[in-house]
Amino acid sequence: MTETENKKRILKARAQALARDPAARTTEAAIEVVEFLLATERYGIETGYVREVFPFKELTPVPSTPAFLMGIVNVRGRIIAVIDLKKFFDLPTNGLHDLHKVIILQSEEMDLGILADDVVGVRSVPVSQLQASLPTLSGIGQQYWRGVTGDRLVVLDAARILGDPKIIVQGKVDK
Amino acid sequence: MSIPDDDFLKTLLAAFQVEAQEHLQVMSAGLLELEKAPAASPTPDLLEDVYREAHSLKGAARAVSQTHIESLCQAMETVFAAWKRQAIQPLPADFDTLHRATDLIQQLVDVPGGIEPARLAQMVAGIEQLGSDSPRPRAPEKPEFAEPVLPATIGSDTIRVAARKLDGLILQAEEMLAVKLMASQRAGDLQELRLQFAEQLREWAKAGAGGAESESLHQFRQVEGKLLALSHSAEHDSHAISRMVDDLLDGSKELLMQPFLTLLNVLPKLVRDLSRDQAKEADLVLSGGEVEIDKRILEEMKDPLIHLVRNCIDHGIEKPDERTRHGKPSRATITVSVTQVDGNKVEIAVADDGAGIAVEKVTIAAVNHRFVSEADARQLDETTALSLMFLSGVSTAPIVTEISGRGLGLAIVREKAERLGGRVSVQTQAGKGTTFRILLPLTLATFRGTLVQAAGQPFVIPTANVERVGRVREAEIKTVANHETIALNGRAVALVRLANVLELPATSPTEGEPVWLPFVVVAAGEKRMAFGVEAVLGVQEVLVKPLGKPLVRIRNIAGATVLGSGTAVLILNVADLLQSAVKVWPVAKSAPARAVERKAVLVVEDSITSRMLLKNILESAGYQVKTAVDGLDALSKLKTEPFDGVVSDVQMPKLDGFSLTEKIRADRKLSEMPVVLVTALERPEDRERGVDVGANAYIVKSSFDQSNLLEALRRLM
Repeated sequence: MTETENKKRILKARAQALARDPAARTTEAAIEVVEFLLATERYGIETGYVREVFPFKELTPVPSTPAFLMGIVNVRGRIIAVIDLKKFFDLPTNGLHDLHKVIILQSEEMDLGILADDVVGVRSVPVSQLQASLPTLSGIGQQYWRGVTGDRLVVLDAARILGDPKIIVQGKVDK
Repeated sequence: MSIPDDDFLKTLLAAFQVEAQEHLQVMSAGLLELEKAPAASPTPDLLEDVYREAHSLKGAARAVSQTHIESLCQAMETVFAAWKRQAIQPLPADFDTLHRATDLIQQLVDVPGGIEPARLAQMVAGIEQLGSDSPRPRAPEKPEFAEPVLPATIGSDTIRVAARKLDGLILQAEEMLAVKLMASQRAGDLQELRLQFAEQLREWAKAGAGGAESESLHQFRQVEGKLLALSHSAEHDSHAISRMVDDLLDGSKELLMQPFLTLLNVLPKLVRDLSRDQAKEADLVLSGGEVEIDKRILEEMKDPLIHLVRNCIDHGIEKPDERTRHGKPSRATITVSVTQVDGNKVEIAVADDGAGIAVEKVTIAAVNHRFVSEADARQLDETTALSLMFLSGVSTAPIVTEISGRGLGLAIVREKAERLGGRVSVQTQAGKGTTFRILLPLTLATFRGTLVQAAGQPFVIPTANVERVGRVREAEIKTVANHETIALNGRAVALVRLANVLELPATSPTEGEPVWLPFVVVAAGEKRMAFGVEAVLGVQEVLVKPLGKPLVRIRNIAGATVLGSGTAVLILNVADLLQSAVKVWPVAKSAPARAVERKAVLVVEDSITSRMLLKNILESAGYQVKTAVDGLDALSKLKTEPFDGVVSDVQMPKLDGFSLTEKIRADRKLSEMPVVLVTALERPEDRERGVDVGANAYIVKSSFDQSNLLEALRRLM
């Protein structure tokens, strides 16, 4: 019987721990991000903007569009534009990527797919841990950062990316 | 307007009921708001809304001869107008009367005409009193109307749903197509498996006839039986799913269908007002209001239809005295009829019995604008000459004035119709009248598309714009002023390569020069052009998917569609294409130095971007490249086609690069094949493993450089 009681005690303690207000558990503000890999680097994007992660199987390239726009994909009947973040950030692309996942971001304005080598998972990043910048970085792409953590996870600013006028493709026929 | 038949009236009434519901809702809500607002502070916007709703409802009621409702609305309108002028201040008790009035209207909407005249008169008087600033003794009228009103829900069999919600639902229904295709594929696979199994079993039974094996043979026969049953039920399921999905799709498309009536309703007033303004007399005859069509098409056709009817009055019909002089009845008749043709098309005909269009004036105007040469103009038949009226591209007015107005607006009419996949035509007879016909598809969602291939990628061209499809010998392509042309029916037609127009790298021809070039003659308006493609893949029903933000507008692209396989394919924008193609395209140099024998490389890579990148690198280096998505796929390709080398990823599903290399080395025919592994695995032990299994080169992705790869291949092959 003592074992049962013991179990009960443990379960109760757990329940109490879980029942506590999350704010009380972590006293500081944190953001929840989806962590993903791009080549050897790790990035995070706020979960609030992520609608889903989709396997990247097929791509239809779209002619006469900027280089960062990889093409369109069919996600259960919806056509989603997919971009390569590195090209969008004007970062040099070294080596070959194994892009296997499309992270579909959603805002009121639009749906947008970003390519990732793989998705690691969801984690919480305390805001206080975010470093705004690094002295060696000359600013390219940094405008889309919220910051970088000590373990070198770059947290992206999804609102900034989705709201950037540069992302809008507005082509015309040259006369 | 001629007397509509009973059925028509019924449809009209049904449409009115839906419309009235909306007006009433806004009115009631507005009244409640007004009531809440403090009497001292004026709420002009709110008042304006309520006033307008009452006014619209009055108009709608008049159109369907609901005089009771009309008089109630009229009275309410007067009150709101007085409030608006601030001639009088609303008193709290006034709202009771007005609410009772809206309730009564609701009742009358549900049961048309269901009120005694006396009671109506009393109510109207009660309302009117609110609007006059004479002393208002309103005490006694209360109990008379206090009886409960039929709730609005009874008898109303329509509900309003936000179009956005419907769109989402329809999207999901369309996606069920994939389920249908998959089910049929599975049933087919199972059937094939069953046949293979049976075949195997037969051979086996023949080989070891009877004896000790009969026990296990018996067991296999049982499995075969089960397989047969499974295959049958899979087929059955597939049929059932197919039927259900088709029904679902039809049903969901129907959700978007609306009767033309909603559009035709605006015409009677338009005709009345316009003909009065111009001192002309016209009857409007409407028919076919019950024909249903996709509401998105209906919305798009509103302006063109109004334009055509306006044209009839402005320019088509004559003044009464002129008509009598020509022995015609002084009142003209304008007919707007909608008819369903061929089951999936609708024709809108707008006809007048006016003076007709002088064909020679049209041609003169067209010649003046250099659309046609004078010599050509003389040879035009009437239909072609009339079609000049639809010419666009001139934004200046002269052509419009010269041929008495018809012209500029017509270009817009045609453009709209064509954008919806429709066509416009016109017939005229001097002194007798003119008829414009617009032929439209019933649903917007699907249209026929011609699937072509350019730069190795499929594209859809709307079949409505495809004049013909054919192929031409490369030798028969002749340049005119450095532009390629082909001869079609004795006329020279400009030829451009679709890949060039789309700014895509034309895939270099595979071994053996292509003697024939497939082409598609695309026409829009007066422009036509032949587009050279790599292949014409077929014609099929296409479901248009809009490209949303961030793809606001893409040059040459109208939208996208999804093929049965789930692949997204781009739909070309024909108007853009014809314009883009006008830019000077230097004639492509005929394929250089084809004498060099090109080596064939198989790229094995599961990541699509890497696969495309490797393919591009190798192709631009002059290799002939085929691709495989994993080791297993590669192995089967290697066994059926000749290759000079393999470039493979290591981490792949089904069969990885190491195992693939092993299998290649173990195969008698393939053992000498050069294999280059390109991998993300950088550890020395991985590299060693690569060497162990027999790879000829091992390139690490993080330090990938195309020169490494090309160098390795050059060395090996």
